[in-house]
Amino acid sequence: MRASSLLRSLKVVSRRSPINPVVCSFHSSSLRAATNGVTTPHADPQLKNYKFWNREESTPGQFSYLLEISPESIQKEARIISLTAPDDEANHALHEGALPMGCRLLGTGSTLQDFNELRNSDQQPNVVFVSPSCPKARVQLPLVLAAFPTIEWIHCRSAGIDFVVSDALVGYKHIPCTNAKGQFSSSLAEYTMMACSYFAKDLPRLMRQKKEKNWAKYEVEELRGKTMGIVGYGDIGRACAKIAHVYGMKIVALRRNPSISEVDPLCDVVYGTGKSSLNKLMSESDYIVCSAPSTVETRGMVNADAFKAVKENAVFINLGRGPVVDEKALIEALKTGRLRGAALDVFIEEPLPPESEFWDVSNVLISPHNMDQTGSFMHEATEFFVNENLPRFVCGEDLLNPVDVEIGY
Amino acid sequence: LTMDDSNKKYYNRETSIPFSSDGDVIKEAKILSLGKADDVNNEPLYKGRLPEGSKLLAIGTVMGDFDIPALKAQEPNVIFVSSCTREVLLQLLDAFPTIEWVHSRSTGIDHIQSKGLAAAEHVVVTNSKGCFSSTLAEYTLMACAYFAKDLPRLMRQKQHKDWNKYEVLELRGATLGVVGYGDIGRAASKLAKAYGMKVIALRRNPSLSKGCSICDKVYGADQLNTLMSESDYILVAAPLTDITRGLIDADAIAHAKKDAVLINVGRGPIIDEDAMIDALNNGKLKGAGLDVTTLEPLPTESPLWELDNVLLSPHNMDVTATFLRESTEFFVKENLERFVRGVTLLNLVDKVAGY
Repeated sequence: MRASSLLRSLKVVSRRSPINPVVCSFHSSSLRAATNGVTTPHADPQLKNYKFWNREESTPGQFSYLLEISPESIQKEARIISLTAPDDEANHALHEGALPMGCRLLGTGSTLQDFNELRNSDQQPNVVFVSPSCPKARVQLPLVLAAFPTIEWIHCRSAGIDFVVSDALVGYKHIPCTNAKGQFSSSLAEYTMMACSYFAKDLPRLMRQKKEKNWAKYEVEELRGKTMGIVGYGDIGRACAKIAHVYGMKIVALRRNPSISEVDPLCDVVYGTGKSSLNKLMSESDYIVCSAPSTVETRGMVNADAFKAVKENAVFINLGRGPVVDEKALIEALKTGRLRGAALDVFIEEPLPPESEFWDVSNVLISPHNMDQTGSFMHEATEFFVNENLPRFVCGEDLLNPVDVEIGY
Repeated sequence: LTMDDSNKKYYNRETSIPFSSDGDVIKEAKILSLGKADDVNNEPLYKGRLPEGSKLLAIGTVMGDFDIPALKAQEPNVIFVSSCTREVLLQLLDAFPTIEWVHSRSTGIDHIQSKGLAAAEHVVVTNSKGCFSSTLAEYTLMACAYFAKDLPRLMRQKQHKDWNKYEVLELRGATLGVVGYGDIGRAASKLAKAYGMKVIALRRNPSLSKGCSICDKVYGADQLNTLMSESDYILVAAPLTDITRGLIDADAIAHAKKDAVLINVGRGPIIDEDAMIDALNNGKLKGAGLDVTTLEPLPTESPLWELDNVLLSPHNMDVTATFLRESTEFFVKENLERFVRGVTLLNLVDKVAGY
């Protein structure tokens, strides 16, 4: 499975007979018979629907027994414009790389003005690729969509689409929109387990004792046997559950559509949304992981009420979006000791202003929204667009990772 | 989830099936406890239910605590060791030739190991292998992440109210080299695999791990330098024996990969501490996570206290509120029940090899 990641870099395209599986960019046609391409034992049952991508579980070009990129299989051209910060190197695969057959990059820019030349050309774009690096993307995207009514697909380079969602954009909800769901999940799962251990082994105490040259044995806690409650059980939540499960933790998941995860082997319990569900999860979890997207529904969802319901000594981890949490209530819960501690990678305001009380609360682990920021993460997100979704688009197949701009994720 | 055949001979807290005490009791255990009378962790022995006919004869830590003539008449056959010196143990074995079995509440037996013990052919030794492994595995992955996500930098930045986005490393795709692939090594590998790490195992008998589903490669002891050159994170989980003492020396460290991190949960003397300190100072090693050191408590003069790239813990990363009690429970519920039924004991130690 992993070997086919080599295939990404090959750009040779040819059609061969089924007996000789072709080594071709984006697919190996030896994946013939699979109606269920999922091979890992604990794979997300949702993947069976072919809708979503996960960097660990999905095979590059996995569903490409459906695809044969040849002149005959191309149903339409992809004429792409990229809404991006100038010189965004992460977009190399799109801006400078070789694109799949049938795909062309018409131009890059940060504002509608940058695309003025295109407006009168006979080559009108039908795809817009938008990166969070683009300043004021939220303003520019609807302007671009208005100026180029030929656009039929919007792809967001990141997983969170809150950077671009607006009432104006909802006006274009008829245009399919996709994102980078599944690209960053494993890094964040690693962070989550580190955050849990940070409190279980009392890492702050270790560092303190080291400073004082104090050799004092103290008791540590195990993660084994403890409960992890995941608020917003999407791809990130699932990646966390996958690792936590091997640690011997129990998983309680919460999501809008609990039925989707009913058969998920990783979840012990799945709740739907609703006041009592969240409080129930809070009361049952030793470690709460908040990985929900920021939407109209989730804003301020984890509030004072929820924190009142927490189990004794609970730890709160937020790696989704700051606005999902009522920060005042969180600070209160930390200061009063209601929460043992928190690990926060995201905040309502980023960068976190120096006046924020979080800096001074001792039982908080703060990171500058970088716990998924590997050297290559954004490059890989762009490569996903180029190698996975662009071929699907030109061959007329379903795109991966559809999002609903009205619902917000 | 059996990793290899040794599950039949050894105990693992996560995977072993509890002993079913159905069979007939064929002898009695008459137990001496070499340990403290007020040690609450020994309550499963001091106050718990023992197999039919078996009893605890005496508790003590030095020879003076035991009424030798009186006890001799009762013919004690088991010694449960939780706190003692190797000299006292030898003296007890001398005084009571009826002893057939010595069980150590800890896993490491380096503190009671001796030539005299090894020579006492009528005495078998067992330990608590497998009782503490998962906790140490959790520590291991935490130590890896500590360096991969640069936790020290996060704490520094917080102190300075500095919001500075920096790149982190993934554990996924990195290689964990395990020196001493026993129960702890396996538990750590299980977790490492879940993270998507690659695992290289090193042990005296590599054939024992043939077909092991959680290691990608298995090396023999002569391939240490190869392991060092291939691993991003090296876990030392070996017991302390004549062979392993000073095993990770300057030469081995010189073969380390760039930015390698060394983690020790075995015994301090396995690593040449001076060589390691040098390597930490000159950047040959990116960092170290040490739960054990050559001297414990670590003397304040040790340079380890002041090295920024060292995560230091006071040999407590397996010290949960219940771990010693659970180890005593293992002795009572698993091995004592086997002993009185003539069933082979779990966790037999090779007295000559020292583990």
